[in-house]
Amino acid sequence: MERRKFIRKAAGTLLVATGLAAAVSYLRQFFPRLAGEKKRFSLGDPGMFPVDTYTFIPDHNLFVYRDHEGIKAVSAVCTHLGCILEKSTDGFVCPCHGSCYNEMGEVLSGPAPRDLSWFQVGRTPDGKVMVDPGRIVGPSEKFITA
Amino acid sequence: MADEGHSIKESDQAVESSGKTRVSRITRNFFLHIHATRVHIYSMKPAYTFGLGIILGFLFLVMVFTGVILMIYYTPSVDAAYQSVKDIVYVVPGGRIIRNMHRWASQGMIIVVFLHLLRVFYTGSYLENRSLNWVIGVVLLIVTLLSNFSGYLLPWDQLAYWAVTIGSNIAASAREFTDLLGITAVFDPGGFLKKLLIGGENVGQPALTRFFALHVIFLPLTMLVLISVHFWRIRKDGGLSRPPHYAADRGPVNKWLAWPVLMWTELALLTGVIVVVLLIALVADAPLLEQANPSYPENPAKSPWYFLGIQELVSYSAFSGGLLVPVIYLVFLFSIPYKDKEDQHVGTWFSGPQGVKLTLYAAAGAIVTVIAQLAVMIRFGWLRDWFPGISQWFVLLINPATITTALFILFAEFTRRRTSSTRMAALVLFTCSFTALIIFTAMGIWFRGPNWEFFWSRSQWPVL
Repeated sequence: MERRKFIRKAAGTLLVATGLAAAVSYLRQFFPRLAGEKKRFSLGDPGMFPVDTYTFIPDHNLFVYRDHEGIKAVSAVCTHLGCILEKSTDGFVCPCHGSCYNEMGEVLSGPAPRDLSWFQVGRTPDGKVMVDPGRIVGPSEKFITA
Repeated sequence: MADEGHSIKESDQAVESSGKTRVSRITRNFFLHIHATRVHIYSMKPAYTFGLGIILGFLFLVMVFTGVILMIYYTPSVDAAYQSVKDIVYVVPGGRIIRNMHRWASQGMIIVVFLHLLRVFYTGSYLENRSLNWVIGVVLLIVTLLSNFSGYLLPWDQLAYWAVTIGSNIAASAREFTDLLGITAVFDPGGFLKKLLIGGENVGQPALTRFFALHVIFLPLTMLVLISVHFWRIRKDGGLSRPPHYAADRGPVNKWLAWPVLMWTELALLTGVIVVVLLIALVADAPLLEQANPSYPENPAKSPWYFLGIQELVSYSAFSGGLLVPVIYLVFLFSIPYKDKEDQHVGTWFSGPQGVKLTLYAAAGAIVTVIAQLAVMIRFGWLRDWFPGISQWFVLLINPATITTALFILFAEFTRRRTSSTRMAALVLFTCSFTALIIFTAMGIWFRGPNWEFFWSRSQWPVL
């Protein structure tokens, strides 16, 4: 290859590569590095939750259900577009676009694409109810308190 | 000569000052030179353009001038935003009027931008190599909508919070599709887009900061540049569109000097725009709901009226109603000047009697198509009500949004074969889709209540 041609090609390649690298690292700045992990939290004494009732926890957007055997927790965030569900007589209903779920969190009607997630419930060392939104469990899995 | 009467008029004007002076008024001035020195008489016909483009330009000016005032009193922080908006309304002298003007001018832009779209489309003004300016226009339509969307997040009231939660999840709704394919873990364009928009998983301070930056710098700057190019292209394309029999007019034939006739017209329009916005701002207050509460959405949680058509569509499926169908619609809008090059149709409303007839047929067809599906949906439910546990694929692919889109494309294809005219096919598809947009929007505004259920009127809403 001619020297002139080689230099021209090398310079061109270098320029394009540098430009691309600059563009990528610039655009990268628009995407924050998120600490993605969801943290566990405690919800206080098990006795705070009435039996056979779904209690809404506003700070964490979930429903806690307690019966005479144990406690379980279900997400109150609609899988459609993220509105907060309301408890209806036999399940959950979304005020935004009308998706309905039964008490097991399964989609009954409306545009919601997925069932609701149930979170693992446990106990902190001092006996408080603890929910771990990073761990998804089945709808019938309970933290046995009885 | 055909333009004899006109040259008399020109010599009339010459009594005050020579044509040369008038030409130089425009050419000497950087800002006025956005205009050609002469405008065609056809472009000055009020019932041809209705001045919609220039009205949009003036509304944009109103937005910038009022926006700057709002910006120096507004605090873009989750804790302080709501109170600072209240301060603007209740404490800053004249702040309420400024905020009202900003709000109503923005809604004015939405209305006028769509009217402008209708005017340009129905007069065939994308023809004769005006494709680039049409494309810029559609981008401006999108930027206008985005400016509105990013703007109503800023007060951090209930409307803001839930609209942006819903909006960012629509951006993430490509997940609905990738979930079905089972590839979300490795390929997640929805999550990518959502992260770009709100800087996190949930709407919070990063989202507010980002939307503030979008709203006060990125979008207005983009708009300013695009508006400038849009106006400049009018000159490069040989002035506004006009029918073929005027096309040969070159030089001064059938044209007026822009100074001062056009200047007076535009000054009158500017004054009119300011007066109308100010009057509305004096009598009607811009809404401000309760402070954002991340645990309790309003019921119904309605976005501003111009997005309720989209909200109606996403109530069928987030992915197909919020992403798929709008993207198909935008692709259609962008492609119009590249698919239809029948230049003989330029410059006449609806391209003549055949076009008028087809437009009416298309509107009627769209009304029947959409209302029939809505009636079925409201009366008998939809797939999930008939087949509980049906696969999400069917919910996503078979709903009023997708069926309507498919039918309209069929209508247009049928028209193209029958009339062998791409312009007629474009008329049908454009009319159908715009009619559907109006019906879906009306549905969202007036006929949806708590839990997005159907109600004939607001008075029937249950007390919650």
